[in-house]
Amino acid sequence: MKKKLASVLSLMLLIMSCAGCNSGGNNKGVETLSNVSSDIKAELTVFTNRTDLIDTVFKDYIIEFNKLYPNVKIEYEAMTNYEEDMTIRLTTDNWGDICMIPKTVSTNELPNYFVSFGKVEALESEYNFITEKASGGEVYGMPWSCNAQGIVYNKKVFEAAGITKIPSTPQEFLEAMKKIKDNTDAIPYYTNYAAGWPLSAWEDYAYGGATGDANYRNNVLVKADNPFSEGKPHYIVYKLMYDLANQGLIEEDPTTTDWEACKGMLGRGEIGAMALGSWAVVQMQEQADSPDDIGYMPFPVTVGGKQYATASADYCMGINSKSSKEDIAASRLYVDWLIKKSGFAQSQGGISVLKADALPATLQDFADANVELIANAPATAENEGLFDKINDASEVGLTSNEQKARIIEAAIGAVNESFNDIMNDWNSKWASAQKSEGVK
Amino acid sequence: MDIKFTKWIKSRQGQKWIIVFTFLLIPLLLLIVFTYLPFAKMIQFSFYQMGYLGKREFVGIDNYVQVFTRPDYFATFKVSIYYFIGAFIQMTLALYFASILSFKMKGRNVFKGILFLPYLINGVAIGFIFLYFFKRMGTLDSLLTLIGVPIEQIPYWLKNRDINNISLSFVSVWRYMGINLIMFIGAIQSINGELYEASEIDGANEWQQFRHIILPSIKTVVSLNLILAVKGAISVFEIPYIMTNGSNGTTTFVIQTIVTAFKYKKVGLASAMAVVLLVLILLITAIQEYCFKDKEARQ
Repeated sequence: MKKKLASVLSLMLLIMSCAGCNSGGNNKGVETLSNVSSDIKAELTVFTNRTDLIDTVFKDYIIEFNKLYPNVKIEYEAMTNYEEDMTIRLTTDNWGDICMIPKTVSTNELPNYFVSFGKVEALESEYNFITEKASGGEVYGMPWSCNAQGIVYNKKVFEAAGITKIPSTPQEFLEAMKKIKDNTDAIPYYTNYAAGWPLSAWEDYAYGGATGDANYRNNVLVKADNPFSEGKPHYIVYKLMYDLANQGLIEEDPTTTDWEACKGMLGRGEIGAMALGSWAVVQMQEQADSPDDIGYMPFPVTVGGKQYATASADYCMGINSKSSKEDIAASRLYVDWLIKKSGFAQSQGGISVLKADALPATLQDFADANVELIANAPATAENEGLFDKINDASEVGLTSNEQKARIIEAAIGAVNESFNDIMNDWNSKWASAQKSEGVK
Repeated sequence: MDIKFTKWIKSRQGQKWIIVFTFLLIPLLLLIVFTYLPFAKMIQFSFYQMGYLGKREFVGIDNYVQVFTRPDYFATFKVSIYYFIGAFIQMTLALYFASILSFKMKGRNVFKGILFLPYLINGVAIGFIFLYFFKRMGTLDSLLTLIGVPIEQIPYWLKNRDINNISLSFVSVWRYMGINLIMFIGAIQSINGELYEASEIDGANEWQQFRHIILPSIKTVVSLNLILAVKGAISVFEIPYIMTNGSNGTTTFVIQTIVTAFKYKKVGLASAMAVVLLVLILLITAIQEYCFKDKEARQ
């Protein structure tokens, strides 16, 4: 008797647990955009990191898009802890339709999760920075706003300090910061140490910006011997960070910095400069006394008499390859619309994905200094995924902030460690990871 | 058969069975799905070299060997010592306030409320409150300068590596004292009031009442709180993670685990670290339990 009841109940359970399963197809075929009619029916779930835009800007996008395709229902889901949460969602097939591809997906795994937008050669002529999420010559993620990596600063503070020329070498930058310290009340350089992630923004300067070489990150660094020794790009970039902190050109107590407050402080002229991507300019301007006070200059490194800046896509959009055929087709339409019609990049002060569009006004200093923007070239077939592998295995964590915090801690004398000690440690960790990943 | 079954189901025995089963079904289901299943998976992961996505490779006990042989990983337990000492101060304070507040006095409930409130505040909010508190010329510095301490003599509470862990464990004490307090008050109130009267007739003072009546009566609760405190000290996470990001020498073992899992994407190694932490806590609990039981038996 009891057995029977138990079996009935367990059957019920089984049915219940299966109700949640979706019989989603595994269609990989993608229709071309031209033969999709405007009455296409689909329901899309879009994931984004922009919790601040979900109820405003994105809602308007949906309304605008629905004017063209009324039967496509779009729903946004924003996550504060985007990188980690999205990575976990990706491990299931039914996560949704469009997402901002998290950095945790290594390039060689892209084809397992996302639909290809086409060949790199085919898209290259029309779009910027599409190689960001490319694998095997196919593009798996479309950027929709791109950033240049430079330094945001307050023009009035620079003026008051008597800085007449935008510094173009680390030495000039240090001198400029010293002038701010001597001649004004402003904090010359604000580290945002406590928030953590702003420190990791420094990493991008060491690629195209400090080398002028698009291949540096994915093809050179991964194979280099002692890439963090004196004179090498990382050494030059992080030495500036160290010197700023070491010479007392940063805030008094880095451990209690406040990211939200720093925007207003820069706007009011209480901070001279901060190293952040160009996306930050608009946010800083919003809280400035006068938006014109906020300037954006290239990172102060000159290579062979010329200045370069690393440029890269913000998040790239990827489409779930496990979604149904209709959903994939509709997703492609929406992504295409976002890139071409939404005007998102312009509204965020970003560089447009479309090659035809001009540089945004915020990057005037870049145009003046004739700075060449350099996007990281994708890894060659032989080096595919290697950067991520070595970076993770070595725990140097170039893309994250722990080791950069270590540099500042050493610079302010919290630990008894010299800058060269840290770089040597990175070198040895990098070398042993190269060995374990079979590079050497 | 069917008739027999309906009869059985309508019987007292059958009804009891159904009620027990249906009541247990959901909590057990939740427990299995959200606790035991992930836990089993975590143990499985700890034997693999793996990221979140991509290939997994079985490596045996390699991850465990790494956890124990890497000095930078195990050294994070040193930070726990600060919180451990903090936990004792916290319990002493809680016991002190609980004893006072258990007796009749004016505004008893108000004080109880004030002391318990920090526990109810969300950890993120506490992190931010104390960031302002410890900031240069923040709340604490302003207070100190107000009573005449020159600013040059006030240390940087979070920047100075000699004291930043003390600052953080102070926050932890402030936050968790309330819960100890409530537990102690609850236990003290279950003591028979006649005992105090009798002791008063015998001429016992307040300290003697505490030492010989209160403390022995609430021994179980004290020891329970002790276990919780030790567990809390080795698995400190929230306060240093929010306030300092684990930077400047405030990384605890749990923060190190998170960094390993999410920054370096070494899920296998991080799982092994989590398992090590669990075993450690089980071990401490077992030792504690053993000592406690032993004493009881001797008595």
